[in-house]
Amino acid sequence: MKRISLFTICFIIFIGSWVFLQFVIGGVISKPIPNSVIGMYMALVLVAILVHVSVEDSRFLEFLRPIHETLVDDKYRVRRLVLVIAIPVLLTGFTYTNLAQKTPPPGDPRDAHPTPPLELKYKDEVIETMQKAQNPYRHYEKDDPEAFKSHVENGRRVYYDNCFYCHGDHLDGQGHFAHGLQPLPANFQDPGIIPNFQESFFFWRISKGGPGLPASGTPWNSAMPVWEDHLTQEEIWDVILFLSDYTGYKYRTFGEGH
Amino acid sequence: MLRKRIVLLSILLGFTLFISIQVFTQEAPEVSAKGKEVYEESCAHCHGTEGRGDGSAAENLLPKPRDFTRGLYKIRSTESGELPTDQDLFEIITKGMPGSSMPGWETQLKTDERWEVVSYIKTFYDGFKESETPPRQISLKDKIPYSDESVQIGKGLYTDLGCIECHGNVGRGDGTSAPTLTDEWGFRTWPANLAENWNFRGGSDTEDIFKRFIGGIAGSPMPAFEGDSFLHFGLTSEESKRLSVMENKDEMTPDEEEESGKLYEKMDEAVLVALDRVEGTELTPEAQKMYDDAMKIVYEKSWHLANYVKSLSPEKRPETAIGNNVLRSQYMAEDLPILGDEAWDTLQESYYPLVGQVVIEPRQFNPTIDSVRVKSFYNDTEVAFLFTWDDRTHNTEVEENEDTGTSYEDGIAIQFPVKPPKGPTDEKPYFLWGGKKAVYVWQWKASAQDQITELTVKGVNNVTVQEMQGDLSVKGEYNEGQYRLWVKRTLATDDKKDLQLESGVFVPIAFSAWDGANGDNDIKRVISSWYSFVLEPVPSSRRFIYPPIVALLTVGFLFGLRGFVLRRNAVSVETDTEQ
Repeated sequence: MKRISLFTICFIIFIGSWVFLQFVIGGVISKPIPNSVIGMYMALVLVAILVHVSVEDSRFLEFLRPIHETLVDDKYRVRRLVLVIAIPVLLTGFTYTNLAQKTPPPGDPRDAHPTPPLELKYKDEVIETMQKAQNPYRHYEKDDPEAFKSHVENGRRVYYDNCFYCHGDHLDGQGHFAHGLQPLPANFQDPGIIPNFQESFFFWRISKGGPGLPASGTPWNSAMPVWEDHLTQEEIWDVILFLSDYTGYKYRTFGEGH
Repeated sequence: MLRKRIVLLSILLGFTLFISIQVFTQEAPEVSAKGKEVYEESCAHCHGTEGRGDGSAAENLLPKPRDFTRGLYKIRSTESGELPTDQDLFEIITKGMPGSSMPGWETQLKTDERWEVVSYIKTFYDGFKESETPPRQISLKDKIPYSDESVQIGKGLYTDLGCIECHGNVGRGDGTSAPTLTDEWGFRTWPANLAENWNFRGGSDTEDIFKRFIGGIAGSPMPAFEGDSFLHFGLTSEESKRLSVMENKDEMTPDEEEESGKLYEKMDEAVLVALDRVEGTELTPEAQKMYDDAMKIVYEKSWHLANYVKSLSPEKRPETAIGNNVLRSQYMAEDLPILGDEAWDTLQESYYPLVGQVVIEPRQFNPTIDSVRVKSFYNDTEVAFLFTWDDRTHNTEVEENEDTGTSYEDGIAIQFPVKPPKGPTDEKPYFLWGGKKAVYVWQWKASAQDQITELTVKGVNNVTVQEMQGDLSVKGEYNEGQYRLWVKRTLATDDKKDLQLESGVFVPIAFSAWDGANGDNDIKRVISSWYSFVLEPVPSSRRFIYPPIVALLTVGFLFGLRGFVLRRNAVSVETDTEQ
């Protein structure tokens, strides 16, 4: 059996790495990887290959042999002709498509986990510090299940009277108005939402809405209303109970690590 | 003798009773605790615990959540006047009803949970228990495939059958009776806009549309095509044509009087048969044949009509104008096209969905305007936009109406920041008519269609009409359920409160629109989020210069490399020989 040349192996590794990044990691396993990131990884792969082949003189010569042969050996005239046409055509096409590309619209970078203020407020009234504020009805869960249930039911009513237009019947952020909004309404079924925040954080987000976000959260884009204008404190705490009751997720509590 | 007969009769009676009890118990839906539990957890907040469609969320919803206690179901695979099949109910729960607030429950409820809910919903209406025979299904077997010819026939029927009265001449739901319609419960209802089939409650496939014709949409003003609601029901196509010709004459001859009289009689007979059938009277074989013949024609025509309706919408809801679909105003060297110019047809529309404004009171929970579509051209000094949106009614003033309430004036507002943001992290004004940071707004109202007002707005309650009204050319029109608004402005103005436009700069844009007949007025309106558009720079000529240079350089490099290798080989051969 003919041995595969070192050059071919390196070539296969190089192309294989690209296919792996572009289609396997950036397709099957997770979301597509930006081209600039792929470019960085590919540069690393190239450097690694060059280091590997140039460690010893003999290996380097072995690596260069096919290139050398293709360039000068009369046996490879056809291959030479094909490459001399294909390489310039590919590079020219690549340059043209790059230049003809339209500028993409600017992205809207947004901090999805904005930093809350130090104090939790309802309208102008200070409730507690953000860290210490507790849902005043949470303790019923253990102390008085009946009372707890009625708070959750009240939360359900508040949710379907007010929130489901955008956040959806299933609390999945896909209400019937969601398609018209940028950014999309929060999806409470996402395991990264409820478990990552304290109840006080939710109270802050609900009561102050989009306009209450810090600049990093792009308050000018959010259609989340300022709910303290429409709802009582109890209604807000109740809807917070309902969100975790419905989805089964538990809020982060103070003192837990990340 | 008599005794024997009585015994026989009793046995027979008893047997019949036994059978009917058997049937009864088989058909009665099982009321499971599970169905009730799922219903109360997932459905009751809209449909009410008693199934009356009066859950706490129902107040702000239109269309209203279904009232299950009357057995009137809109979306069925069954004939007019029939109850839905279990499968029908299951599918509505699974897929939801587009264009309403009913979502699909496929992801949220397991298959058996959805079936349990079907059984539970049926307990709200006794008719399900009482019906002895399964509902009559609509047959789809003689489907007429989609073709231009069928669409043309359907188009003719669309006018003849009177669809235009509600759905309008070209189907945008803008017929003359559109503003007056109410459903069985007295709630306001709008005829479907047939150009937006992604909002069809029962789906947008030709089969779905066909089923709505044959079965009707129970509880709504949409009739089923049966009996007297169908044009010339009972006549053959030829007879129908002949009758139309005669009816269109100013005066009929005595012969024609007689001929048409006979045709009317034939129609009356067929309608009576259809009524008998609905009431459950057993039909004589002749009557059955008469009904079947009449319905065959109804089915045929309904397929043509379904094909026509299908032709009125794009395949699916257009993609929103973000990412690759962002609005790029096209450069042209000459004068910009006016409203109605063919040049506009060469551009793709950018689609901006609009939703109810539910952020600030008074809120709009039930919007009637689906979207606004935009096209744009610019040249060295000016930019022109064409805004298009569907609105079923043309309202130019405030009108009081006892039945439908107050209606207001229609309009649209196009909103920009006063200055384009410098970068993606630069602060923008609040998307809903600005706030601390002002927005620059063009407000147009239907009563003055060739005028537009420039506003500086710092929140919905802080609107200032600009002192310097710039030189904007405007032309608006309302036609067949659709507004078209053409606006032209110079790229640069002398007013500091105006947005200044430059090629290649992405500029945020947002919309507000008002359908006065739907109660939209001032703050109550439909809105969009911030989007962006760009005056697309003329493609740089570099794309014709650089690629050939690259080609030349590459070829040169390859030849150079070969030359270099050859020369080095020659040198090494020489040194070899020298040694």
